[in-house]
Amino acid sequence: MHPGVTPLVEIEDLHVDFGPARAVDGASLHVDPGEVLALVGESGSGKTTLIRAIQGLQKPTSGSILVEGKPIDAKTKKAIQTIFQNPAVQMVFQDPTGALNPRQTIYEIVAEGLRIQGQPDDEAAKVGQALSRAGLRPPERFFPMYPHDISGGQRQRVVIAGAMIMEPRLLLADEPVASLDASIRGEILALMRHLVDETDLSILVVTHDLGLAWNIADRVAVMYLGRIVETGPTEQILSDPQHPYTKALLSVVPETEEREQQILVGEIPDPTRIPSGCRFHPRCPLLQSGTLAPDLAARCPVDDPGPLAVGALVGAACWAVA
Amino acid sequence: MGEPLLSVRNLHITYHRQGGSVPAVRGVSLDIEKGGSLGLAGESGCGKSTLANSLLRLLPPETEVTGEITLDGKDVLTLSPGGLRAVRWTSGAIVFQGALHALNPVQTVGDQIAEPMLVHETADSQDAARARTIELLGRVGLARPRATAYPHQLSGGQRQRVLIAMALACDPLLLIADEPTTALDLMVQAQVLALLDDLKQERELTLLFITHDLSVLTYACQRLAIMYAGRIVEEGPAWGVFENASHPYTRALAAAFPTIGDRSSRMAPSGLGGDPPTPGNLPSGCPFHPRCPLAEDGCLVEEPSLRVSGPGRSAACILV
Repeated sequence: MHPGVTPLVEIEDLHVDFGPARAVDGASLHVDPGEVLALVGESGSGKTTLIRAIQGLQKPTSGSILVEGKPIDAKTKKAIQTIFQNPAVQMVFQDPTGALNPRQTIYEIVAEGLRIQGQPDDEAAKVGQALSRAGLRPPERFFPMYPHDISGGQRQRVVIAGAMIMEPRLLLADEPVASLDASIRGEILALMRHLVDETDLSILVVTHDLGLAWNIADRVAVMYLGRIVETGPTEQILSDPQHPYTKALLSVVPETEEREQQILVGEIPDPTRIPSGCRFHPRCPLLQSGTLAPDLAARCPVDDPGPLAVGALVGAACWAVA
Repeated sequence: MGEPLLSVRNLHITYHRQGGSVPAVRGVSLDIEKGGSLGLAGESGCGKSTLANSLLRLLPPETEVTGEITLDGKDVLTLSPGGLRAVRWTSGAIVFQGALHALNPVQTVGDQIAEPMLVHETADSQDAARARTIELLGRVGLARPRATAYPHQLSGGQRQRVLIAMALACDPLLLIADEPTTALDLMVQAQVLALLDDLKQERELTLLFITHDLSVLTYACQRLAIMYAGRIVEEGPAWGVFENASHPYTRALAAAFPTIGDRSSRMAPSGLGGDPPTPGNLPSGCPFHPRCPLAEDGCLVEEPSLRVSGPGRSAACILV
């Protein structure tokens, strides 16, 4: 982490097991105030479990999570209560249509968090301000509308307004534009970046979309089978990735035409059977290419390169990376 | 251009609903030659899925469809029910979006893939259908034991690949893929695109690929057609259209997915303001004018038709 900066979120050696499945298996991660961190990985990499743990919705098996220096207390209460008990952390979901109650007005939806905390006198002003900051202007026009009265892009703005009204320090966004049209995607990403730039809000955005990271993220962390396998500043990671997994992901982005594609076979392995040695070795194109020095090639299936150092700003968990 | 496998002429599709009629497709013409591939792009509500479903007459019966659709030499809109059954699956097959809803939850995926082969008698025995099912599962990267799995036992990516295997069951000439990779991870998307590419080369599969992601289409298809408010507003060779769009709408769609490494898009996501028009209530003149950064007075008056904008290219914009 940056010297002299106290991170907003500090996750150290986090483990979350579901029976024999090690969904998060020694992940360390930090988010500084005022930055966008993109957490990138395939389905099944443990991204969603990790952000559920940050919200206190998932009790870690071991390891620690600090938000603003305070440990997150995993409650077994209903999710909704836990979320509003910790207003500093708010969530934006993938599908705004599913996230909004179709029988509530936009006003009621955005005001809900405030009401759970105890209704303030200036509720209408706060709802208006939240909608307006989310780009829904004039806000009064939207107060009486229902989710079906507005477009998909506007719905995602309502979701963002409902989160921002709690004045959070951290926004967790799970694939915030994956279900939106291409034309709307840029507008929502621009809004998210704008919120970070104008306040000290931080965003941890979970995505498999590397173009999104290029568009708005300061840093990237790449997750594979429960661990962060590479991290660094966005431009460095996306222009000069070191880990063979990151290289493969970048090679299949449709826009990057000039690179030779490295299509990995099959899907991410089952977290009940994490491979020995380096967890990526059975799918690793570098190992399969036969170009590795024999001593290294012998090491990958046996020795675990281990997690990245806690607080690392740059690094790749790979034996072939010096 | 070779002989077209699919030819659509002046297609109009109108949904009649309580409270009025909704024109979803308003005069579309397109051709795809045998072995060719066309990417059809546009936002939700632009009519692209309606168009796709009309090609195999999969629209609700009260829908009004006029114009001509010729697939593999057959006039789709006038086919008898028996003739239509012969065209579906064998001349053209469709991969739907939303893999969870398109599969039967109480039947194994192997049985679902085998069913069209038995119904259409492209497999002459249960054993032959089973063998072909295993082969198809292999083609889409699913191991043999998956044949006995139920849809809920598979991941989203696996289910999507089952749908592709099913569409290929009767060896169709035309594959219509409606957002087949939208719900998939980057790596699974790459696997699916590579599979489609192999099929195009091996057996001259003709492809109509529909999505809102222009970068995927450009990668997967030879030609692109961009749809807005029920019409094609730009058409041409894929890379040319993507890299150097004539229509302002195409430019906005192309810019939505940044090129990684391109300095101009770093920390500068690009979007298009406003929302797509409601099909029942289109703006006057060019339906794109309320969102168009280049709109002039003339754009409010007359809806432009497609005109030549370069070699093998056309666009519907008065500025072209």
